[in-house]
Amino acid sequence: MSFFDSHLTSLVIFLPLLFAALLAFLPNAERGQLRTVTLIGMLLDLVLAAWMYLKFEPAGAEFQHEYRVRWLDDFGISYHVGVDGLAVSLILLTAVLGPLVVMASWSFVQERTKEFHIALLVLQVAMLGALSSLDVVLFYVFWEAMLIPMYLLIGVWGSEERQMAAMKFFLYTLAGSLLMLVAIIALYLIAQPSGSRSFDYATIYNALVGANRELSACMAAGASSPLCTNLSPMALTLKSWGPWMFAAFALAFAIKVPMFPVHTWLPDAHVQAPVAGSIILAGVMLKMGTFGFWRFAIPLFPSVAREARPLLAALSVIGIVYGALMCLAQRDIKKLIAYSSVSHLGYCMLGIMAMTLEGASGSAYQMLNHGVSTGALFLLFGMLYERRHTRLMSDYGGIASVMPVFAVAFVVITFSSIAVPGTNGFIGEFLVLLGTFKSSLWTGFGVLATTGVILGAAYMLWMVQRVFFGQLTHRENAHLTDMNWREMATVAPFLVLVLVMGLMPQPFLDRLNPAADRFVDRFNVGARDSRITDAEVRMVVAQLPPRAAQPLPGAPRPLGLGNVQPVPLSAPLRPAAPAPAAPVADPHAGHNH
Amino acid sequence: MFTIPVITAADFGPLIPAILLLVGAIIVLLSEVFLSTASRSYQSVITALFGTAAAVIAVGAVGEAPRKVFLGFAVSDSFSSLITAVICVGLVLAALVARGYLHDRHSERGEFYALMMFGAAGMSLLSVSNELITLFINLEVLSIATYALTAYLRRGARSTEAGFKYFILGAFSSAILLYGAALLYGATGTTHLSEMAGPLAEAFQSSRALVYAGVFLVGTGLAFKVAAVPFHMWTPDVYEGAPTPVTAFMSAGVKAAAFAALVRVFLSFSPGMPDAPLLELFATLSLLTMIVGNLLAIPQRNVKRMLAYSSIAHAGYVLAGVAALFATGAGEAGFRVIGSMEMHNAANAAVRSDALKGILFYLLAYTVTGVGAFGLISALERREDEDRGTAWDLERFAGLAQRKPGWALAMAVFMLSLGGIPPTIGFIGKLYIFRAAIDAGMTGLVVVGVLTSAASVYFYLRVVVYMYMRPAADGAVTHNTHWSTETALVLSTAAVVILGVLPGPVTGWLAMGGSLFGQ
Repeated sequence: MSFFDSHLTSLVIFLPLLFAALLAFLPNAERGQLRTVTLIGMLLDLVLAAWMYLKFEPAGAEFQHEYRVRWLDDFGISYHVGVDGLAVSLILLTAVLGPLVVMASWSFVQERTKEFHIALLVLQVAMLGALSSLDVVLFYVFWEAMLIPMYLLIGVWGSEERQMAAMKFFLYTLAGSLLMLVAIIALYLIAQPSGSRSFDYATIYNALVGANRELSACMAAGASSPLCTNLSPMALTLKSWGPWMFAAFALAFAIKVPMFPVHTWLPDAHVQAPVAGSIILAGVMLKMGTFGFWRFAIPLFPSVAREARPLLAALSVIGIVYGALMCLAQRDIKKLIAYSSVSHLGYCMLGIMAMTLEGASGSAYQMLNHGVSTGALFLLFGMLYERRHTRLMSDYGGIASVMPVFAVAFVVITFSSIAVPGTNGFIGEFLVLLGTFKSSLWTGFGVLATTGVILGAAYMLWMVQRVFFGQLTHRENAHLTDMNWREMATVAPFLVLVLVMGLMPQPFLDRLNPAADRFVDRFNVGARDSRITDAEVRMVVAQLPPRAAQPLPGAPRPLGLGNVQPVPLSAPLRPAAPAPAAPVADPHAGHNH
Repeated sequence: MFTIPVITAADFGPLIPAILLLVGAIIVLLSEVFLSTASRSYQSVITALFGTAAAVIAVGAVGEAPRKVFLGFAVSDSFSSLITAVICVGLVLAALVARGYLHDRHSERGEFYALMMFGAAGMSLLSVSNELITLFINLEVLSIATYALTAYLRRGARSTEAGFKYFILGAFSSAILLYGAALLYGATGTTHLSEMAGPLAEAFQSSRALVYAGVFLVGTGLAFKVAAVPFHMWTPDVYEGAPTPVTAFMSAGVKAAAFAALVRVFLSFSPGMPDAPLLELFATLSLLTMIVGNLLAIPQRNVKRMLAYSSIAHAGYVLAGVAALFATGAGEAGFRVIGSMEMHNAANAAVRSDALKGILFYLLAYTVTGVGAFGLISALERREDEDRGTAWDLERFAGLAQRKPGWALAMAVFMLSLGGIPPTIGFIGKLYIFRAAIDAGMTGLVVVGVLTSAASVYFYLRVVVYMYMRPAADGAVTHNTHWSTETALVLSTAAVVILGVLPGPVTGWLAMGGSLFGQ
């Protein structure tokens, strides 16, 4: 394997950081130069991410493009990155949005341009890193690092109430994720005996599989069955502490999604954020929450997830309906789009909670869709806002007659958002609803979620009608100019994606389906009538490279300044440790639906 | 028959850093007499050089087998070497910051740096003290130096008031410590910490009240020095009133040295008495300190005072690590206040070793971050605002990102590190401490710690808000820049970020040497 192949994931993650460093040395006044360099960086990153996406073998090993080196040996933390089908898709989404975000802010951000673009690039690094981390602490580091640039994006370049919104966003998310840190440490202490402890995701998962199976089997059989009286020590520990740890993980991710009662930071953050911030927030950061449920909360604690499933599904459905109803009550367009995100992310969560293959892959597809369609809505509205500087629906009306091209683009994206067949939104919502009806969840959830589709069409079309059609009611709007070439070039990729993903979903689903399949299997280990064995769901990942030769700890050393530099860890330990994840044939990798 | 004790050259080995610092102090004092240059900026350079040399020697001694020296009055182990290194890092950074600060106030005098080095020598000696009287004397050496430093700018009312307050309360706490030591001597018949365990166990059977009184009085005396709640009252006033470089030095050095003494004293009591009361004592102190320190910092608009409260809060996190030292048989009955968790607990020794590493790493993290933050404040404040008390107002930070982008970035990094946000050294420190505490069964305490640190991010981020999101006040001030201050800021910012991403060298030192701690 060449150097390029083994470091591909790291390159995708850290290339924007390189450009951020480059930007720091460019003069402040050269705005065009700053923008161009950032755009080039984002485009290069997109090329690499697309290469990674194409090289990803749908039928291959679960985690591909893996790379692992020693990092903090004392804790059992390694620098371990790699992608599965869901992660590689979300990485592609993130990389696609990157250059578009730069183009969307081309004329909007005139103040402190350099800092703005550095923040964008650093945010890109953190998001890509969080998606590809296979070490829990590495994930946590990237997860928290996302907050800082986003906080600055909202707080510095946002609109009037930006400081309050930025602070609310930061504290809400931080409170949740710090509790997750406690759960992560507890998990680390539970999973392995002292001495061989590791924060590696696959190691922790594999250590817990057996105990999780016992617990699920015990739950399926009922409390009085012999399966529950002979639990292993690990299963007993998980039985008493698993719910708390799951709660900590779930809270952190639910805040990010955001799920119903903890969604209140989102409308503020979206309304106050600059266009670029809104696009990234809606496009990628919200998916970090659903991704977290998919990657961590549910596979690590399947038995608790099974108990919490009705509650989480109910909250998702409440989110769908409540978000849609709130949209109907909005006069502020940006707030409407923000609440529509609450509603759409409700579908993603419902699809996950359905625990069927259709639901899970529909949910994953919906994550990508929402990134495209809501990202585009924020982008388009940003163009309108740049011209008129008002967010109120009543200040517009009849815009289609002065900005026809813009109106066409907006309507197409609206169709995607309300899941008109032929657009990408249809595939995602259809699969989610199908999965929900097929699942063991109460049928009412599916019925209520379907009403959300109708409400969604109602509020979006109502908004489009009030903004674009009818008489031109405000004289200020008569002289609005239509989109220029740069704006069209920014919107065009979104329109293409809407149609391509709507008409040709199979290439995308090919990569999502194996991941969805494994996800559902991991949830079902030990459940009633399930014949999935531990070996089938165990994760196969690269092992740690052997330790570089170094003196044994505690070995006598002569006193002297020459010994001040101890060997461990200070330097990158191995120049190019190969990540030989021999693609182990997975019995489930093949059968897609 | 009284025998003359034999002291060989080897006995002086562990004291070399302290001796170097004393030599440096004397050189600075003598230079004051024999050199008649107008500028005294070379003195800070001398201090920094001697501090660096002492730190390098201390780090070089890490990993050596623990041994007793001076007939058991002192002990040399990796723990004391690392504490000395942390103290010297604080000394070097604070001395560099002090150069510009004193220069702007026309008050550069040799005694300032000499006092700093005398104080640092006392701190280093405190970390090796293994006998109660020696410990008390070294505590006084460092305290008297810091009392004098606090009142160093004697023209203003604030500095004098702070010095006086610190002196009164400090003397009071030393007396309490001495009283406790006397009671323990009465109970056990020895003042040597390494011989304490056996007699203490006997005394615990016969006169339990006496032992408890002695232990708690010693604990109280040391809790004053580390500013644990409810013994923290002096901290905000003293930290605010002292010259800012002195505050930086105190918050790092005094705290590190006092924690070293605390850990050494109580670890040597531990075999002689049940661990549960010690665990409960420190867990409660930690709980109170984290909550009160962080909550009281929230309303502060004075950044220096906010950092003073924050330093109290950080002592609370270190105390959680101290509590983890005494978690024998974690999760057993008798300790339910803080919550416990059953898992395959690491062997007691492993938890203890993790907790010691955590304490050391956290102290280092706090030193580089805290000294950096106080250093930045000292660079920002102006003499004429001090009497009005607005020198440290949040408004002073408004628009700093435009006026001084480098400083704003450094301050933002310090604030994030204090809040424990990755990828900074503060995060790794918290990870160490929380891991040890959870392993010791104190999940509840850690949850409180995590929630309070989430609350603390509010007031740390407020500084960032002012720097980056508020326009500069009218008539924006120009700031004097000094190469030494800039160097200190660059060094500490680099340390915060680089050790936050690659803590390799430091964790390497911590991992070296099978036993960190020796009696």
